[in-house]
Amino acid sequence: MKYVQHINKLISDKVLEKEQLVLFGQNISAGSCISGLTKNLKIQKNSIIINTPNCENSLCGIGFGLMLNGVDSIFFMKQQDFLLLGIDHLVNTYNFIRLKNPSASFTIMFVVVDMGYQGLQSSLNNFGDFCSIARIPGFTITNKVDAEQIISKHLVSPGFRLIGISQRLFNEELIDLSLIKSNEDKTIFQYFEGNDTTIVCFNLSLPYGLELYQKLKEKKHNSSLFSVNAVTPIKWNDIIENVKKTKKLVVIDDSKSENLSCDNFINDVLNECKLEKKVIIKKLFSENWLWPNPDKLEINYDEIMNRLK
Amino acid sequence: MNSTKNEIAEQILRLRFNQMIINEKYKNKEFVIPIHLALGHEAIAVCVDIIMEDCDQLVLSHRNIHYNLAREKNLKCEIDEFLLKKEGLAKGQLGSMNLTNEKKGIMYASSILGNNLSVAAGLAFGKKVKKESGVVIVVTGDGAIEEGSFYESLLFAKSNNLPLIMIVENNDWSLATRIEERRCIINLKNFVGSLGISYELLKGNDIYSYIKKLESLRGYALSNNTPVCIEVNLTTLGSWCQIVEGYPNGKFINYHAGPAPKINIEGGPIIENSENDPIFVLKTFFGDEQFKKMSNKVLNDIKDEIK
Repeated sequence: MKYVQHINKLISDKVLEKEQLVLFGQNISAGSCISGLTKNLKIQKNSIIINTPNCENSLCGIGFGLMLNGVDSIFFMKQQDFLLLGIDHLVNTYNFIRLKNPSASFTIMFVVVDMGYQGLQSSLNNFGDFCSIARIPGFTITNKVDAEQIISKHLVSPGFRLIGISQRLFNEELIDLSLIKSNEDKTIFQYFEGNDTTIVCFNLSLPYGLELYQKLKEKKHNSSLFSVNAVTPIKWNDIIENVKKTKKLVVIDDSKSENLSCDNFINDVLNECKLEKKVIIKKLFSENWLWPNPDKLEINYDEIMNRLK
Repeated sequence: MNSTKNEIAEQILRLRFNQMIINEKYKNKEFVIPIHLALGHEAIAVCVDIIMEDCDQLVLSHRNIHYNLAREKNLKCEIDEFLLKKEGLAKGQLGSMNLTNEKKGIMYASSILGNNLSVAAGLAFGKKVKKESGVVIVVTGDGAIEEGSFYESLLFAKSNNLPLIMIVENNDWSLATRIEERRCIINLKNFVGSLGISYELLKGNDIYSYIKKLESLRGYALSNNTPVCIEVNLTTLGSWCQIVEGYPNGKFINYHAGPAPKINIEGGPIIENSENDPIFVLKTFFGDEQFKKMSNKVLNDIKDEIK
């Protein structure tokens, strides 16, 4: 099964459970339905699906207006960069709404352009920036299990949040991992436990971390693998305890922000742990950001494995 | 319309005096938050209060004092809010520009130009989903209609058959620039007409005719499930002339926010002897003596309330 098919199935199941739910966005029930993300959605009789005009700013305000009147809604958006037009609402309107502790749910779910073939739009692989601008809860989806847990807990739930999915993974085979544990907020997921190295993946970088884990495993080097799927303040205790044990840390963050989610973590882990080895992999700014290109993180796995020896 | 002619007159006088009292306190530097007085906007605010039914909702902008006072009818809790006291209308948490009052149907207020329009459309959409009756009234201005959200929100409301009443308070000014200084003329009738939305112009500050027209438009919006746009020509009173070099007659300062230094409550409720002032227009419906008697009664009542 493809990544997008799995997420579509989870959305379908969830929205069918809910009454009086508004699903809205551009072409969400027409054409390709956001390349399959919102395909064949079935809803309860008193719910609504609408294809909206192209007015992203106002659509954000409309979601908050629905929320003020106690109506749950999901705004599906083809690409994260469209949300730039709605930032006023993400900050100013959300600040008002959260004072009221609303019982209704408003979720904006969008595709993060984390591959570079769209040129300038691809420079906005900055999910964390959208969340940090007003401390908005936000969750990224990378695989079968985090998709299940995040959509189940957060897609329709009191309050407001952003959910980002990966364009790079969109039509890839779904990553299916066994979960060791996740925290209550579904912000940290642990997939493997090992004594040799701790690998922590941020944003949408789990596939890179998984590849490193597998290559290390082939060399009889057992790692712990974590994915941090959110940027709002997180308690790092479980990961820090793991790092204290392994004393070797690899951090991977494929976001293009200058305020990386992983920086908070690195700050805390350096304060609390004595590390023997540390590898931090981030996006480096280059002119490539500004024209179409694969935009993959360039990781020399052999070099990293040598450094971790 | 259940209110009598005199009750309406007292309500509009009350709103004027309420603002004048706040202005006096503002001049005495009692407030640390920015407040946008709306002297001269009283007719439309009282009109909205009178035509609103319990099922209706109101969405405001940063200049919302007139609607909040008209709806709540309690000056003390508004002053306490501006003083950021716990006894304030919103427990001192919202101050002025975002002040709301859910019990009176005021659901949202925003200090960001044009921000409130789409939230109002969302509220109206929520009513439709929940099959609730009533209209959503949203107040904006001639500055905010320059924002794209004005067009977007009308487009959404019309496309989804939402009874949304959009009131455009046109005072000609956006902070320190007149319309002619910052943009071309927008023919609102033609503009909203291009989306199939009805338009009405209110001018002259005759509260009694405003009420009849707004009641009729509310009924039209509800029975046709459609947005309507109402432009209200008005003057924000409180301008003054600053003595500066190069301006022999003083430099004109348009009132935008803060205290209005030249307005004094001792001078009575009328600020300008022209139809720019709704209180001046109101007086024409009553004899001098009756108007004076009514004014004194309203002012004394308010003073008793806030002792």
